[in-house]
Parts: sequence; C-alpha cells; structure tokens
Amino acid sequence: MAQLYVDRDKYGDQALSATVEAFHSAIKDIVRQRLAASGGDWGAFVFDRSYDLITADDMRAVETMLLDAGHRFDWSAAISPRERPAAYKPAQGVSEDDIATFSFEHPEAKTAEPDAQGRELRGIGDNVAQYPENCIGIARYIRSPALVLKYLEEGVPPDTIAIIDDSGGTLTAPILEQFKGVICAGGSTRSHLGILTREYGVPCLMNARISGIRQGDTVEIEVTAKAKTAEAYQQGIEMTANVWRLKRA
Amino acid sequence: MLSNRITYAQLLETNNLMQTCSDETYWLCVTRTVQESKLFPVPAYMMLSYLMAFYRYPPLLRKIEGRMSAEEIGDRMRNMGMKCANPAMGWALPGFYLLGREWLINMGLLKPTDAIEDVVYVMDFWKRFQLSWHRNDGHITNKEFGHRAQILPEARIQVFHADMYDCVEGDELHEAAQSFMASASQYGFLISCESRISLCNTGPYKLGDNVEMMVRDFMDLSESDFPWLDDVAADVPYNNITVTMAVKDCHFYLVDDWGSFEARPEFKSDKLIGVGLYTSDNLSEGYIPLGMDSREALIAKFRELDAKVREATTKLWRRIAGWSRDQMIDAGAITYFAIIKDLAHIAGVYEVDDWMKIDERAERFRPLLNDEFSRDALGELVGYVSHPSQKVMEYTMAQHSNAPVRMYSNIPYSVLAGEPYTASSGPVYPGVTYLPAKKDAYTTTRGRMTLAEYNRLSQEFTPAVLHPKYRHLCDTWVKYHAGTPLADELYHLEQARSRRLKGKGSGLKRADIAALRGEG
Repeated sequence: MAQLYVDRDKYGDQALSATVEAFHSAIKDIVRQRLAASGGDWGAFVFDRSYDLITADDMRAVETMLLDAGHRFDWSAAISPRERPAAYKPAQGVSEDDIATFSFEHPEAKTAEPDAQGRELRGIGDNVAQYPENCIGIARYIRSPALVLKYLEEGVPPDTIAIIDDSGGTLTAPILEQFKGVICAGGSTRSHLGILTREYGVPCLMNARISGIRQGDTVEIEVTAKAKTAEAYQQGIEMTANVWRLKRA
Repeated sequence: MLSNRITYAQLLETNNLMQTCSDETYWLCVTRTVQESKLFPVPAYMMLSYLMAFYRYPPLLRKIEGRMSAEEIGDRMRNMGMKCANPAMGWALPGFYLLGREWLINMGLLKPTDAIEDVVYVMDFWKRFQLSWHRNDGHITNKEFGHRAQILPEARIQVFHADMYDCVEGDELHEAAQSFMASASQYGFLISCESRISLCNTGPYKLGDNVEMMVRDFMDLSESDFPWLDDVAADVPYNNITVTMAVKDCHFYLVDDWGSFEARPEFKSDKLIGVGLYTSDNLSEGYIPLGMDSREALIAKFRELDAKVREATTKLWRRIAGWSRDQMIDAGAITYFAIIKDLAHIAGVYEVDDWMKIDERAERFRPLLNDEFSRDALGELVGYVSHPSQKVMEYTMAQHSNAPVRMYSNIPYSVLAGEPYTASSGPVYPGVTYLPAKKDAYTTTRGRMTLAEYNRLSQEFTPAVLHPKYRHLCDTWVKYHAGTPLADELYHLEQARSRRLKGKGSGLKRADIAALRGEG
C-alpha cells in the first residue's frame, strides 16, 4: 500500500473526535489503495486521477462502516433523523406525542426548593437584555419545524415562553416576535437568537441550564438581571439570571 | 512541477497572510458564535462549502480578474453596499478556501505542497482587494485596525451625516426603523440559511463628541442570485438596503471581520438618535436615498419595507420547511461558497453554473456529512484546532490559545529547494444541485433584468467617482486641495442626491455639517 505524505507527522497523531478519526482513517486507507493501484504518482493522482478514483460511493461506504458497527449519530437538524431515523439516535421532544413528558435535563442546572414567594428554582441562563420587570409565562418546547408550522398556522398561544435548544435565528423565524419570552438551552447572548430577541424586544435567556420544566408549566425568567457582556464571556465572569417554576402544568 | 515563478518572497508573504487569517479565524469562531440550528444542518453545509471554495475559487477569481482587477473591485466596493462590502466576505475568501485545503490534507487527499500557485494567487487576490477596499483606513482587515472598519471617504460620510433624520425612542421614525431592522435581520438569517452574511455593520465614524455612526447593510434581499428567493422575494423592491445609524452615549469599541459589533455601554434602542436609508449596487452611482425627502416619507418607506420583508420571511420559511436535507445543504453550502459571488457581478462575468452549483469534486464528499461527523470535524477545524495537520512543535504558543497549533498549514519552503509540488487544482468542473433551476430574473437598482443584461450593463458601467479622473483622489489629496475646482467636482458627485449638501463642494468640515443640521 502507498504511503501518504501525512502518514509521517512529527506532531499530529489523530483527531480528537472518535467519529472524525474513524472517518478520516478509513478515507486515508482508500486513498492509499487507489494511489497504489494508479501507479503511485502523486502528481498525476492528486488533481486528476483521484477525481475519478475517489468517489461518493467510497464515502458512503465509510459511513456504512460505522453504522454497521452499531454506531448511531447525534443529530442537530430535525430533518436529519426524520429522513434517516436508522442512522441517528432517537429524536425526543420533536412531536406533540412525546412533548408532554419531555424536559431538558442539564447536569449543571441550579435548582432549589420554593422560596418565600413560592418560586422553585429550576435553572439559570445568560440574560440577553435587561428589562424593568421579570417575564412570566407558559413554558412551551419548540424543537421542530413541524411545531413552528403549527404555530404559524394557528397562532402562538398567548403568554408563551418558548423553550428552545437552537441558538440560531431561523427555526422560529416567522413566529419569534409572538413569544412573550425565550429560554434557549444553548448558544450565548451573541448567538443569532440572542441578537434577534434583543432586536425584537423579546426577553430571553441564552445558554440556559435547566431541569424539570415540562410543557405547560408556568415559569418566571429573571430578565431584570444584568445582561451578560462579551467581556464576561471572554474573562469567564459568571453573570447568570434565574429560571423559576411558579406552577406545574 | 509546473512553475518556477513562485519566489521565496511570495511564499513568505503567503504564509504570513495565511497566519493572519488563522489567528483571527480562531478568535472569531471561539468568541463570536455557536453554529447550530434545528432547521438547517449547518456544520454539514459549511464543510461542503469549504471544499467548493477550495476547488473553485482559484479559477473563478482568475476569471474575474480577466475583466477587472481585485484593486478596482475594492475601489468600487467603497461606493456601495453589495455583499462584497460585508467584512465577512473579506474573511471568508481566504478562510473558506484554506479550510477546504486543511480538511483535504487531513483526509490524505492533499499535501501542503499541493496547488501552491493557487494558494499564492488566492492570498494575493485577497490582499489586493482588502487593501483597496480598506484604502481610507489603511489596514488589511478590521482586526489589524483593532477591530474597526472606517471604509468610507469624507465626501460620502458627510452626506450620510448631513441627511440623517433625528429620532428618539418612542417616536414614529425610531419605531419604524427599529422594526424594519429587526425584521430584516431575521429575514437575513433565513436567506443565508442561518449564517449572518446577509447583514453587516461597518464603522464607527465620529459624528460628534459623544455620537458615532454605524452603517448597517442588508444584502441579497430580493429575487436575484439565490434560487430559493425566486418568487417569494419578488415583492422586496431592493436587493441591497443600507441603514445609517447615529448612536449617542455609546462607543462601538469592536467591529469585527464578520461585520458584527460590541459597544460600551451596550447598544440599546434608546441610544439610536438618527437614521438614514439607501439602496445601491454595481449599477448605481453610489448610494440612492430611499424615502429621504422628508421625515414622513422615510417613516412610510421603513414601514413599507418592513411589511414586505415580513411577508417574504413567512413565504421563504414555508418553502424551506418543505425542503429535503440535501436541498438545505445545497442552499447553505451555496450561500457560504458564493459569499464572494458579487466580485463576478461587478466584473460582469457572473454565471449561474459557476456560483449556484456544487462542484462535482466537492459533491463526492456529501455522504460523509451526517450531523455528528460534520459537527465534530468542523469543531476540530476552527474551534479546537485539533486535526493532526494543525498540530505544530510543542514550543509553539498560538495567538489567543497559547496552544501548539496552527489552523492553516504553511506552504513548506522546501518547494524552493526541490521538494515536489503541484501548481493548481485545475479549472471549474461541472456542478450539480438538488435545488430548482434559477429563474432568469435579477433585481438591480435599474430594475429587474435577465442575467445577460445584468452582465452587459456591469461590463459597460463605471461609476463616476471611479473614472480615471477621480479614482485616485483620496482623502489625503483632498486635505491639501479642498476648495479647488477638481475637489469640488469630486464632492459634487457624492452630493448629487443629498438633501442638504447638493452642490456644497469640498470645503465643509464636520462642524459645518453639524451646523447645517442645526446641531450645537
């Protein structure tokens, strides 16, 4: 088998991610085989013969190798497990069937018994913008385009505090302005969702670490807290706002 | 072994430019964003776009320079708000290309000694474009300027300053402008498949002791290059919209090479005290005012555009929600790859197959791009900088991270001492797409037209301020020639559509503009 230029690397060894390492190792094996079979002339291979000799079928085989070994991929876009459920870990909280029992469970969620006002601490997050009053509303998970489409057709229920784990600005694009508040279990105050909620004046906590909040719970988010700044992120300064549950659904 | 034209000096400069990009890309990726979306498979399309950039940027840039130099395009960009004026384009041009190169190295499909004429050329094009576009502030990137972007000449800044309408939080203009900017930002993220490259900010410019101006551009809003905007964006009347913003008691201390900013104290809506509204493209004589004849007209224009953008957002979202994953990947990868497409429009050599298709060499790798692999491979490439090719000797302390890593592999100087190398990845290969064919309709400042017509007009048109007589009359020249007939001619070009400055010439200073506005 031919040797590749990158096979001799004084400092680099392997990728950090096991999935990446598995994929890249398999691809390098294919390249070694095809290079050897083509005569071993790298100059003729790299921008000419390799275009025909290294194919999409080869790449498909690389992925199949991992799936056949029993690996199932993490998903991030809802469309991915929807189109190929057998290739991805099960998707939860994306349909109305399972949303009633779904909840984000962050291992670092800060929780506490109800305070004097009956507010049960269920987590913390980074406040995007400071408002004069805290925001109180009904928790509703939004994890799929199907649910956004439903709300687009039927209207967002009044007082909805959307609980999202997508810090992007596109999933909820047509309905974002209708939310009373947002709790986002990802990103930072500089993420697209943070930028947009600030522009629309919708109270929002990003990077929320919450636990036990179910669909329909009444929650309060502490948007009277100071907004988390870029300096706070860069210097690792803890600036958090609380998420309380006021009433179970 | 095709060339003996590459010199030691060229390699030294190329490696320096790559290192500059490497350092800043790490900072941007680690401090400025988290790439995720439940709607779009973002890392998957980003990884695909990098391969597209690697294979196609060199021949496409050469095609562009066959008609217009990088320097002239940079000059033209100071005069309009097309996507080339997004600092993110200046970051992405080398960045996407080099990320594709790095990924291929880690798959064993490329050596750092491959395609070195391409690498040298891409970095040289980038340098010439950036230096020209940044001519007034004298830097190659916003990063080099301490994260600041003062692109515009005095003649244009004075018009923006003079013609802005005052507003305060709660009044009709403030509310209309804020609402439009929120809607257009939302729409921009959707157009660009979750990326922020349809909007950007440049500046700040000092309008007074405690007042700064930011220029916010929204780009590619109408039926034009992207097939996914065909029909759904037909009612958005302008493809590029620029909002000038005067901001009080708030200093923009950071404007990065993605066109986003940080301010101290935080920029909130109550800080916005003045706005203006414009459109522009490569067929316009600079910025065309929109609704700027009166305060009432401006309020009406903001509201009209707000309504049209909201309607287009809903239509576009419904279209995207019905897409397959491959269509989402295509749209995202094309959005990223084609961030530099307006270079071809300006040169008048734009072709749909060049910019709206996935090169078949990149397409081979689509089956790898499940969510997990894409996320991890991307994270290692730009965040952890942990792919084997990115590891360097243990004594190294990278800028920002202090880790022994380098995002983009240098070209080894050994190629000058006989180590074999290759020159180029070759010409543009055929492309494919899962998206519908692009409708032949392009929205410009001269109306909606076919691509052939758009290319023809682009080749024929030179904005007046770019005519040889004026092109090199920079602010340093104006400093010593203000009030001369030639300087006045130059300023009259910018002032032609100004409500307050028409015909005023080159002698005014900032305080004169403030006085004309009735300030202080």
